[in-house]
Amino acid sequence: MPEHQISMVLDLNKCLGCQTCTMACKKLWTDGDGMDYMYWNNVETRPGQGYPRNWDKIGGGFEDGKLRPSEIPTKEDYGQTFEYNYAERLFQGGPQAMPQEEVRNTPNWDEDVGAMTLGENYYFYLPRLCNHCTNPACLEACPRKAIYKRAEDGIVLVDQERCEGYRYCVRACPYKKIYFNELLGKAQKCIFCYPRIENSEANACARQCPGRLRFVGFLDDPTSAVHKLVHVYKVALGLFPEKGTAPNVFYVPPFNPPRRGSYGKSVLEDPRMPMDYLQYLFGGEVIDVIRRLEGELQRAQNGSKSEVLQLLIGRDDQVRYQIPKHGDLIQLPGGRKA
Amino acid sequence: MRFLALILAGCAASLAQTPLDPSAAEWKSAAAVSLALNRTPPLYSTDAPASLDIASVELRLLRGAAGNFVRLEWADKTHDTAAIAKAERAWQSEQLVKQSDATNRFNDACAVMIPARPVVGDLSPSLQMGDAEHPVRIFLWDAARGAAIMEASGRETTKRTGQSFPAQGQYKDGRWTVTMQLPAWPEGTPLAVAVWNGSQQDRDGRKYFTIWFRPR
Repeated sequence: MPEHQISMVLDLNKCLGCQTCTMACKKLWTDGDGMDYMYWNNVETRPGQGYPRNWDKIGGGFEDGKLRPSEIPTKEDYGQTFEYNYAERLFQGGPQAMPQEEVRNTPNWDEDVGAMTLGENYYFYLPRLCNHCTNPACLEACPRKAIYKRAEDGIVLVDQERCEGYRYCVRACPYKKIYFNELLGKAQKCIFCYPRIENSEANACARQCPGRLRFVGFLDDPTSAVHKLVHVYKVALGLFPEKGTAPNVFYVPPFNPPRRGSYGKSVLEDPRMPMDYLQYLFGGEVIDVIRRLEGELQRAQNGSKSEVLQLLIGRDDQVRYQIPKHGDLIQLPGGRKA
Repeated sequence: MRFLALILAGCAASLAQTPLDPSAAEWKSAAAVSLALNRTPPLYSTDAPASLDIASVELRLLRGAAGNFVRLEWADKTHDTAAIAKAERAWQSEQLVKQSDATNRFNDACAVMIPARPVVGDLSPSLQMGDAEHPVRIFLWDAARGAAIMEASGRETTKRTGQSFPAQGQYKDGRWTVTMQLPAWPEGTPLAVAVWNGSQQDRDGRKYFTIWFRPR
């Protein structure tokens, strides 16, 4: 167990699906050789196939305390990394810019498709990154012990010197958030922007988010927004808790009003999206979370103040981010591995 | 420990010429020893045991002043290798990024393991990469990534030394032939061989292996 655990809470009600977080991460960390197909941060439409395709259905994580590895997703499962025929279009009079190969899948292939319920379409956006789990399946699976969880902040990293690219970690991660760089022969993943965190700076994905939906801080810091949202107000949940990895990225579930024609009713009486889908993603506790959020909404609508909703507005950086200086935090020899 | 006779052929003068070529004339006069291959058990209880598709590996050895030349030959129906571009840039500017072509393929490979220290009597190091008192050196050849020397002193301790060694691989008619030029070792030193079949997703401890063999 780490001494401290950094964490992120994402309010899915505020996500625009604009992919600014995706590009912030891409430009900062995965712009190098062999990393083309990697999106350490991605935003996928739910319900949907996800990135890589069907990651939520193929396995990974723990069952009865034992690893249940999946197959390794193919490159096409992650999505093709094609170029456009810009030169032909711009300089040779081609009709329109088109991909240079037949496109069968991309990381955001089914954007805004969603699903139908009672004749109406519904969907929401799910931004995803490494969950920096308390019980990381990737770490457990690595026979070379190349993956470690930092004592001072719980960030999970791959030692690029130790890694031999065996990809047991890829098979083990239930979220498929660890990738293989074939050119280097190494596994690579979200590093939770640790050089920024060490400098009290929030992650690039969080800082760039126009929707201001990301909260960053330490779960064990009672003054942090993440601590309050997860442990005090209990309105944020991890993805697929039954996978047994204890993720440290949490989501405020989508909290749509009831369907048209049901004004005044509880969202649980006539929901816009099937609650069983939210239970599939976040576990049974999501119903309690939605009841809590609905209670807070009613309180605000009745003229009272809701601390939860005020916090979720996330007006400025000071409200959303509480990241102590690394030197103050550590109290441990630098670089010690958990 | 079983002892098998291996006829050592050639002389220093001829060794200096072509033994790294798998079809070099010197190899024709070197006796071949067939070593039985075994499969390691699956790493996870949920994985089915891998099938024994490759029953044996043929070993030939030439000893001379330039070191020891080892020639390994085995049948493998699948030719699992790839031309992998070299990663040069961690961050791009205006350059197009080089792509990872695949995420789930593994390469054919083989390795020769030798005790790092002279052995005493019949006692050989643990087959599982030796132990703290009996470290081993591993000469690994990978069809896509080439040759690398590794060291280990027990399971999960294998690490690259950063050194390489001369080696050549040739795939023809469903058979791999790999030649290696290795440092000389004392008489009576045992060696063990491992083979990885990429299409069986072999890598790391998921592999074919022989028990220790002492050439004489």
